[in-house]
Amino acid sequence: MRAGMHAITASSLTKRYGRTAAVDAVSFEITPGEIVGFLGPNGAGKTTTLRMLAGLIRPSGGEGRVLGARVPSATLREVGTMIEEPSFYPYMSGRDNLRHAALLHGGVPPQRIDELLAFVKMEKAATKRVKAYSQGMRQRLALARALLWRPKVLLLDEPTNGLDPVGIAEIRENLRAVARGGVTILVSSHILGEIEKLVDRILAIEKGRLVFDGPLDRLLASLDAATVRYVLRATDGALLLDALRGMGLEGEPAGDDGALVDVALEHADELVGELVRAGVSVIEARRHEGDLEDAYLRLVQADARPS
Amino acid sequence: MSAFGHVVSAELFKVLRKRRTYVVAGLWWGLLPILTLTAGQLLQTNLGGSFVDEGGSVSMVVQAVASPFGLARIALVGPAYLSPTFYIIVAALFAALLIGEERSQSMWKTVLVAQPNRMAVLAGKVAVAMIVVAALLLGALLASVLVGAIGMTFLPTTWAGEWGALFRLYAVQWTFMLAAVTFSFLMVFLTRNVALGMVLVFFLPALLEGLYSLYALAVGFQPVNRLNVFFQTLQLRQTLEDLPRYFFTNNLYFPARSPVTDLIAIFGDIDGGGGSPMGAIPGLLGGGVTLSHAALVMVGYIVVFGTILAWRFAQHDVD
Repeated sequence: MRAGMHAITASSLTKRYGRTAAVDAVSFEITPGEIVGFLGPNGAGKTTTLRMLAGLIRPSGGEGRVLGARVPSATLREVGTMIEEPSFYPYMSGRDNLRHAALLHGGVPPQRIDELLAFVKMEKAATKRVKAYSQGMRQRLALARALLWRPKVLLLDEPTNGLDPVGIAEIRENLRAVARGGVTILVSSHILGEIEKLVDRILAIEKGRLVFDGPLDRLLASLDAATVRYVLRATDGALLLDALRGMGLEGEPAGDDGALVDVALEHADELVGELVRAGVSVIEARRHEGDLEDAYLRLVQADARPS
Repeated sequence: MSAFGHVVSAELFKVLRKRRTYVVAGLWWGLLPILTLTAGQLLQTNLGGSFVDEGGSVSMVVQAVASPFGLARIALVGPAYLSPTFYIIVAALFAALLIGEERSQSMWKTVLVAQPNRMAVLAGKVAVAMIVVAALLLGALLASVLVGAIGMTFLPTTWAGEWGALFRLYAVQWTFMLAAVTFSFLMVFLTRNVALGMVLVFFLPALLEGLYSLYALAVGFQPVNRLNVFFQTLQLRQTLEDLPRYFFTNNLYFPARSPVTDLIAIFGDIDGGGGSPMGAIPGLLGGGVTLSHAALVMVGYIVVFGTILAWRFAQHDVD
């Protein structure tokens, strides 16, 4: 890879199915070693974008580049993927599935398979047929397969899909370890909390269009700058909601006695005083932590494009 | 090693881990020669020395079917006379394994990432199917010779036979199988459904050829009538009558079916009739077909099927 070259580039990448644009002129660049989260609800176009970058489907317009070469090209041999549900030959063992992929790619020493089985903690199950594997085991084996030929780029589509919290934590730890090796990772998810702790940059896609491209903290900051979300509790939940309506705010009920409300930043410090003046006995009023999930949902709902 | 070599080694690895490989081999290498040898043994014990054995005719038949040469010949001929033929079953089964399974198990997204060179993937898979067919044919030949050699210990059979010609027929049948393999790959790939693809592989040629029979029945008879006058006028009649010479099955199995004439000649001699020993056999072999004609037709089919397959495969979006 030449100095200054991007690991992944999408230039007006578009995929149409008939009149519907699954991906609509998406452009971004990812530098080598970056770990980027690709966020969007189901059907937003994440998988289609990843498939185009992996050379599995042809773009209707624009182009994708991996390690400087337009896809499809020989540089795809430097890419590892986990696209959607992990799939294997069910009549083969986990080890044989890895051996098949290694033979297909070529240049993978046999000890690499043992190394990766140990990395994903699958040594004991390696000789079992894959059809007997749990979802978590399949996900871990798929990650091992994606890493077989020491790829420089990893394209991961919902790698924690269907996993329990322990499985999610294991995959996240594995990915952290891979990232420390300097691999460029583009990882998609619709469960934002899963990748919040892993990535340092976010690409957000909605209805095929890129709606945000920037660092994680910028996404939070850009949204927090406009509004503040408060978590309120009062002795009388109904009175609390009435009072909020009287102030021109639309409270979202939270339990029997609480509400969530978005307040313009410049009026935030007046909120509790106004409620007290309206006769509401406020038990709790705290600013809601603006986590990534909220920020993203608000971004999409408001159709705001702060990029 | 090239991308093609990587694909071949990976797909061979896969084929060897699939039970159907061993079932097919067991049927062809074990069951067929043993059943044929048993038939030879029954002929010998029940008819040998009886009134039908005048002039040693039973020994001739036993030599024709149960000698090493006879068994090897039947291992080539027999699979071509099943319906669907064992040859097309083999082609369809391995097309389903090598190309159909990638879709049914959602493996294209893995295979084409591990090996992004699509033409190498396709060529490698076709090559593996041909290697499997070669191994099956060679195994059938060797197993027949082995079983025949064992039969020589209790049957009046010898090593006699035109071995050179038989080896050539095996080799030619193997090359012709490339047409069956590309046809099977194309059907399984285009239909995107393994079961439907296999059904088409088995029955599409028969259906098309059956339609021709319908034509022959409806308009192909003399004298000129209201139906066939149309074809006569357009001077299509001769062309249509020549069509069977280009049918897929007539040409595909030509090498395997050609030793049948020798077998029939043996039975003709036993019959002692003065007429042609061939009887209706030319019809079974596809009248007017020669080996060079069949080879040319097969090349045509391979080019057509292969081109469509390669084009569709290169364009394929993995969804």
